[in-house]
Amino acid sequence: MPPPPRRAAREGSGAVGGGPSRLTRHTAGERKSDRATERPKVLLQQHLCKGCGRCIESCPKHAITLGTEVDQASGLVPVMIDEEKCNDCGLCIAACPEPFGLMREEYELEHPEHLYGERERPRATPRDVPPHDVPLPRCEPMVLKGNYAAAVGALLAGCRHVFGYPITPSTEGAELCAKLLPKLDGVFLQACSEVATVNHMYGASGAGLPTLTFTSSPGFSLMLEGISYMIGAELPGVFINVMRPGPGLGNIGPEQADIKLAARGLGHGNTHAIVLAPSSPQEMLDLTMLAFELSLKYRNPVIVAADGYLGQITGRVTLPTRMSVPGLPDWAVWGDAEHRNNLINSIYIDWADLEEHNRHLSAKYRLMEETEQRATGYRHEDAEVLIVACNIPARMAKAAVAELRNEGLPVGLFQPLTIWPFPIKQLVPLLGHAKRLIVVEASDGQLEDELRLALHKADVTGLEIQHLRRMGGMLPSDREIVAHVHQLLEVSR
Amino acid sequence: MTTATKPNAFFRHFDRHAHGKGLKGATTHYCPGCGHGLAHKFLAEALVELGVEERTVMVSPVGCAVFLFYYFDTGNTQAAHGRAPAVALGHKLANPNSIVVSYQGDGDLASIGLAEIVHAAQLGVPISVIFINNAIYGMTGGQMAPTTLMGQKSATTPYGRNPLHGKPMHVSEMIATLDGAMYVERCALYDQRQRKRAKAAITKALKLQIEGRGFGFVEILSECPTHWGMSAEESEAHVKNVLEKVYPLGVVKDEAREPWFHLEKPCHDPEKVLQVLETTRETPPSFLAGRFPTHLDAHDVALKFAGAGGDGAQTAALLVTKAAINEGFDATHIPSYGPESRGGTSYADVHVAKDEVLSPAAPEPHVLVAFNAPSLDKFGPTVKPGGAVIYDSSVISRVPTLREGVRVFPVPCGQLARELGTIMVKNTVSLGAVQAATGVLHDDSFLTALRISLANKRAMLPVNEEAYRRGVQAVQAQLAHAR
Repeated sequence: MPPPPRRAAREGSGAVGGGPSRLTRHTAGERKSDRATERPKVLLQQHLCKGCGRCIESCPKHAITLGTEVDQASGLVPVMIDEEKCNDCGLCIAACPEPFGLMREEYELEHPEHLYGERERPRATPRDVPPHDVPLPRCEPMVLKGNYAAAVGALLAGCRHVFGYPITPSTEGAELCAKLLPKLDGVFLQACSEVATVNHMYGASGAGLPTLTFTSSPGFSLMLEGISYMIGAELPGVFINVMRPGPGLGNIGPEQADIKLAARGLGHGNTHAIVLAPSSPQEMLDLTMLAFELSLKYRNPVIVAADGYLGQITGRVTLPTRMSVPGLPDWAVWGDAEHRNNLINSIYIDWADLEEHNRHLSAKYRLMEETEQRATGYRHEDAEVLIVACNIPARMAKAAVAELRNEGLPVGLFQPLTIWPFPIKQLVPLLGHAKRLIVVEASDGQLEDELRLALHKADVTGLEIQHLRRMGGMLPSDREIVAHVHQLLEVSR
Repeated sequence: MTTATKPNAFFRHFDRHAHGKGLKGATTHYCPGCGHGLAHKFLAEALVELGVEERTVMVSPVGCAVFLFYYFDTGNTQAAHGRAPAVALGHKLANPNSIVVSYQGDGDLASIGLAEIVHAAQLGVPISVIFINNAIYGMTGGQMAPTTLMGQKSATTPYGRNPLHGKPMHVSEMIATLDGAMYVERCALYDQRQRKRAKAAITKALKLQIEGRGFGFVEILSECPTHWGMSAEESEAHVKNVLEKVYPLGVVKDEAREPWFHLEKPCHDPEKVLQVLETTRETPPSFLAGRFPTHLDAHDVALKFAGAGGDGAQTAALLVTKAAINEGFDATHIPSYGPESRGGTSYADVHVAKDEVLSPAAPEPHVLVAFNAPSLDKFGPTVKPGGAVIYDSSVISRVPTLREGVRVFPVPCGQLARELGTIMVKNTVSLGAVQAATGVLHDDSFLTALRISLANKRAMLPVNEEAYRRGVQAVQAQLAHAR
């Protein structure tokens, strides 16, 4: 039995997209003369039909049957439509899972550029509206605990969208945001978990707005998946991680427990983020504001690695002279006509595409390493022994240095403000006179690992590196550091 | 022949699908007969018919629909597995005017993302969720989903789902129990009638969002011919004859609600921000003209306040900190925190430094205020030689051995406070005692800090001022006696 006459929008076969179109219009002469109404014709795009046959049942005229011929372009067997029976009712279109398998004639165009309808005109490129600063009137210094100072920093950085899940010792930050943001028509949403939190951030940041969360180590672990996605999708976002001891539930004391996670372990894939390390409530505010700036600059999350003590400590905080008002980046999926073409995405199914994307991310990481190393110090300019410490242990180390200097010992403090990238550029010039480094930290060598890796990459050798480590919520006290330095210097004499 | 308007929100050329090359520029990545394409189509048509395609944000899941953004000519965000509703909420709260659709499969929504969908539905912020239920994991290769039927074979239930795998989850029925969900309907795609209903349901869920009324949830029983091992036709029949028996079609919940969702544009007015932060432009008066209490320490004085939770140790410590900062010194306060600050022992370390507080902990304070015996026992012996201990003698009767030259001031803080009518002010009594015993700051430093702290509770000011004076008097009496 010969196949019934086939109504096809395309004659012959062959690949489309590259070569000339083989699409032809039906001519008026092909139309049925006895048609009752002037409906646009239904066309089967043979090469786009996967031959599933879902249209067959939908046709009241039983005009469609499963095909028998392989389409040479698709390698599939398209259905067949009996033109004699078809009355162009279009029910088959509603049954076709393919967008363009069955369609009304309106879409058919002859020119290959216009295949399947007029190509979307490139829409106007969205404007990039950068954030801008406005003067902040002078006011008296505030007396704030570290967590509050970071929250105030977020407000002054223009952040009005904070998401969080309660976890000691970080929660006061979220609590203050919950109290203040409604007064500024901002949003604080308590998420159902840290996993949801980071994904709320992913959405709000994807819409182009500055966003932040407060968390602590176990919660930070849960956010790592989302942070990897944010890095992959190139989304900004600020994470205040008020670190506490682990492993597991650990306790709620202070520990620099997540230096390795923040510097080396931000979820799966080739990930990095700038990690800022404050050591006072003032720095909690200042570095949080800086975090927003860097986060937007690089389209990458920024981690503010604080510690339990720092979250809880109250001190004097002077507000800056300017505050930031967010704009709307050109890449935002804001949800309007201007930003309609934008896509926030971390899946690149083609391997070569993903490698290229990774190379692009790597270039950003190299740029961060090149430009964003930051450090400070105390009596380090001429020190022969450098204590390396950050976060709260840097305060203890500072007190120890003051005491050791009173004793006439040439000891100084080198304090990284960025843990990643490690401030090797600031350290190397000090190594002319400083031949001995003592890493003081509240973790089992996580900071020292960063130091050693940075020294290795900078080809610095011949240093004596020692350490004082406390864990579990115990902090190295200034007395302990002094005694430790005494002991080390004694041994070496 | 060109057309002026598109009947749906699809791209006319799928440039994101394999770079738009070849047939992929015009076809989906779905297997023949898959229901996803139909659900996409109805959604794409509804967005245009409702006139919202320009402000729509599609959130794609992980699963077969991960590539939603290949097709939808809208804003697109791709989410992690199960997290699409959380991402959708982020979008909606950022731009309340956007129309946000979370499109998810049964593995994504009903398994790994259950917490997110449940909380989004309970919250009820108007977003629209399209839930494709084909009773199987598609993209990972046909494993059991929470919705897999009893007896159904899958890659991870090779002998059929049995009671040890649990029973199929009825997601729509569960979502309907949640307060924020206004509208929940289960639809199918197997015939023209069902398809019309599915599109109407999608349209209704979107309208609920557009009007700001609430959260809409449309479950669509969808065919997966590939992993069911069936033809498209058999798959349709399977939905009709088998799946639908377990998952009945129809409206599960349809509540009326007035439009309620509205968010103002966030405020970035500096004056308003400072007001909200409760900052002040008035420099508080200082009384020491920068004279540091060098009789206690050359650079840095450490104080410890310790007691039970509720004794007011933290409040007192904070007040010292604020008073010292008002005097132009650096000061820090660090509490013991966490569960113990909510009922157990509570202590606070304070440093007052001439220039800068270095180490904020106070393992060896110059001054200790103890509100109970265990605190005095624990911290009394750590007080620096020559330091001062003030303890609440109304509850402590025994003083441990202290270091050399430590002066001791028993002050009945609790009793004095009760005489003033409220035990709440016993910590203020202790502050007066600290100042009288040590001269760390100035009486007016403390009284000014009290006034500022109680600016919003003015009624409490007189009793606090009196409590402070009683503390001063108690110590002065002892000093006079000692002379």
